[in-house]
Amino acid sequence: MPLNRSIAIPWSGRLAVTAAGAVKASRPYRARSLMAKLVLVPTVLVMLVCFYGSALWTVYISMTRSFLLPTYAFAGGAQYERLFHTPRWQVAYSNMFLFGVLDIVGTLFLGTLLAVLLDRRVRFEGLFRTIMLYPLSISFIVTGLTWQWVLSPTIGFQNFIRGLGWNDFVFDWITQPDRAIYTLVFAGIWHQSGLIMAIMLAGLRGIDREIWRAIRVEGIPAWRAYIHIILPMLRPLIVTCIVLIAIAVVKSYDLVVAMTNGGPGFASDLPGKFVVDFEFERANIGQASAAATVMLGSVLAIVAPYLYFELSRKNR
Amino acid sequence: MTAASAQARIGRIGLYVLLLWTCLFFSIPLLVVIATSLKTSDEVRTFSIFSLPASPSFAAWVKAWLSACTGLNCGGVHVGFWNSVRILIPSVIISVFAGSVTGYALSHWRVRGANIIMLFLLLGAFIPYQVILYPLVKMFSTIGIYSSLPCIISVHVLFGLPVMSLLFRNYYAGLPEELVKAARIDGAGFWRIFFWVMLPMSVNILIVATILQTTGIWNDYLLGLIFAGRDNIPMTVQLNAISTTSTGVIEYNVNTAAALLTALPPLLIYFTSGRYFVRGITAGAVKG
Amino acid sequence: MSAVSVRGLSKAFGPLRVLRDIDLPVEAGEFTVLLGPSGCGKSTLLNAIAGLEDIDGGTIEIGDMDVTHHEPSKRGIAMVFQSYALYPTMSVRGNLSFGLRVKSTPKREVEKRIEWASRLLQIDELLDRKPSQLSGGQRQRVAIGRALVQQARVFLFDEPLSNLDAKLRTEMRVELKRLHKELGATIIYVTHDQIEAMTLATRIAVMRGGRIEQYATPDTLYEQPATLFVAGFVGSPAMNFLRGELVGDAMRAVRFGAVTLPLNGYPFQHGQVARDVVIGVRPEHISLAQDIPIEATVEADTLFMEPMGADTLGWFQCGEHRLAARLSPQVARGINGRVRLNFAMDQVSLFDPESEARL
Repeated sequence: MPLNRSIAIPWSGRLAVTAAGAVKASRPYRARSLMAKLVLVPTVLVMLVCFYGSALWTVYISMTRSFLLPTYAFAGGAQYERLFHTPRWQVAYSNMFLFGVLDIVGTLFLGTLLAVLLDRRVRFEGLFRTIMLYPLSISFIVTGLTWQWVLSPTIGFQNFIRGLGWNDFVFDWITQPDRAIYTLVFAGIWHQSGLIMAIMLAGLRGIDREIWRAIRVEGIPAWRAYIHIILPMLRPLIVTCIVLIAIAVVKSYDLVVAMTNGGPGFASDLPGKFVVDFEFERANIGQASAAATVMLGSVLAIVAPYLYFELSRKNR
Repeated sequence: MTAASAQARIGRIGLYVLLLWTCLFFSIPLLVVIATSLKTSDEVRTFSIFSLPASPSFAAWVKAWLSACTGLNCGGVHVGFWNSVRILIPSVIISVFAGSVTGYALSHWRVRGANIIMLFLLLGAFIPYQVILYPLVKMFSTIGIYSSLPCIISVHVLFGLPVMSLLFRNYYAGLPEELVKAARIDGAGFWRIFFWVMLPMSVNILIVATILQTTGIWNDYLLGLIFAGRDNIPMTVQLNAISTTSTGVIEYNVNTAAALLTALPPLLIYFTSGRYFVRGITAGAVKG
Repeated sequence: MSAVSVRGLSKAFGPLRVLRDIDLPVEAGEFTVLLGPSGCGKSTLLNAIAGLEDIDGGTIEIGDMDVTHHEPSKRGIAMVFQSYALYPTMSVRGNLSFGLRVKSTPKREVEKRIEWASRLLQIDELLDRKPSQLSGGQRQRVAIGRALVQQARVFLFDEPLSNLDAKLRTEMRVELKRLHKELGATIIYVTHDQIEAMTLATRIAVMRGGRIEQYATPDTLYEQPATLFVAGFVGSPAMNFLRGELVGDAMRAVRFGAVTLPLNGYPFQHGQVARDVVIGVRPEHISLAQDIPIEATVEADTLFMEPMGADTLGWFQCGEHRLAARLSPQVARGINGRVRLNFAMDQVSLFDPESEARL
């Protein structure tokens, strides 16, 4: 009977406080075991050597004069200076931002829009979801080749429209040096928006039903409710989506290889392809390492603040 | 009918129209590829790939499977298919097992620095492949297995480790700790608790992890290209080589058939177990 | 000979001292209940006895054997958990036998014990079911059965009834009491429910802030609480506390507001010194003075009545204090306004407001 306990001893605040604020002893139970530690030894070794050791090696090599083979004499930022004066890298690096911004905006918009549409209690929702998500199961290689064929002016969309009678119809972006990068965006959106849809839909389904009741009672139209109430509630999820797509952009390699192979020329090159080409075809370890380090830095610039906020939000 | 309900009805119709359009966007590339793969060589040369095949035939599929050419090598994609299978099976088994044991050790046992290990795994999952490819090549060359089946399998296990471990760790951390307590009082140790209590409860997460790894490894291109070696090139690498070969007339029907054959295993997995696939893909979205 | 003997046990989580110098002797056949609010350290103590929690100091003996550094499975204990912790993928039979199989008990013996335990707990029909196919009460029985088949020297229960609804809880309480009587087992039982503690225990250890405040039989605990905390924690509604002052020669009376109440030879524990005291009176020791002018009465205003069926709880305001009195429904009806309350002075408890200890 809380009533009595709180008021029967009104002058003894101390007692009430010590009883209620007693020592909190809940901490997850973890048993000790030598075996558990032994099992983790290979994991830790692999992470330290193959991931972190290798990454540090690459970062170091990017600060040497390495060319065909790695050398270890420190040379400061010389590789970076050369890298950023290389036209091909300039294209690849700025393409990353162009492709990244368009891909993030497009994928996020389409994915969120689809999630909202499916959230409106749609019939055949399962079928729609299946169709939107299947591209995710297909490799970037197949995705890239498919879009290459669809956008190819000789056999694809342009040819098709011309066949319908519009003989002057032109849609040849994939062969235009200043347009090819945009065609990657089509494929990127096609492949990834299902993922964003799935994540956002899960978030929408997690919204408290009471919120929706309140919205209905107040007579707020659904589209306003989404824009002003529901989607702002999902802001952490949206940030997660942006981070996921951004990292995928920095890492992307297969898609551009299959779709344009960086062409025409190197007009649609991306850092991921630049690194692999310089490492394994042109055998320029110094430049490849510098470019790879820029990739690592880009990922860290995205991930570090995200993880920091995410972890501190969870600890709160 | 009131104005409000008329408006609602228009909204509803608009909603379905929008959904149908996006479904067209998603499905047309696949339909186009299927249609093209069923055409004859003459048809491909004269019509756009958007047209339907006049007399559908699987001839291109047979050719893609048995005798599609990469340069002068006309062995068909079945070579790559079996290479992929040989890479896939051991890689998936080892990485799922390694991930589950690591995740279990990190979740229910007291290990100093467990949080640091988890942070290492998490950050490791974000490192782009390109950053560590070259050092790995050097390491595998040093121990003498570079460009071999064991090499590509090790690489897949390696790159699967962070995501697999975290996936299982999060799952096991959600299981009640009293289960481990009870098993300890029953006298069970690390491995017995793992095999008798934990693994039997992990069927769902094992399926998720297996699907995630299977589709991931099957769809991999870069690692297969660099680590598998000439004798083990996986299907994706072979497909890309076939499709970008520029000698002679490009046989789009054969190329599309080869692409479909390559995409078929993950598509089958997706259409038969979509729920697990989606769970895995959202959990492993950071990989690679 | 003690079945369990805990001496000087201490344990800290970082700066938090969750167990401070705990002594807990448990005799063979005893039903000891660890009672206290959440976070008082009672579950930690139980886990330490089980060997599931490392300790920083002290010793634990079970059946004359020092088990302080033994593995949980080597301590001769069995345990029932709050969530039951049944292995969800094993059948009931598998759950009961797992521990025995781990210890390579002969098959015959395993079957014999399962049959014995499942009969005793009336779960012999359920042996081939999975835990998910059982009701809450049945799961509870299986959890107890899993402990019973171990034929342990000591049984540890960690809030085993807290996940059951009120009716089942009462049933299982009776069941546990029967088991304890039939088996003569030694039991250490953690709960925050004082009714469970009072009805089941042969001795109760009331804990707060990592210490045992009092370790005594339920009767002693209720009638002679050792500290203000125990007095307030045990009993529902809780004991009334009034601030007063000892007066008269050899402290034979206590003054409270304007009234002086005689102490009728209160058994002071030591030659106490404090003049300020807290007077603790249980609600059932307050009655309506009505017409009879008795000396030990105080004036109070009626606040309201709470009928509880068998009796009615009357709430009164008396100066700065609000008092609860357990009244018979007949008496309670028609009470209002100013009344005189009579305290059963030979039943009161006195406490030192500084140390919170019983005087």
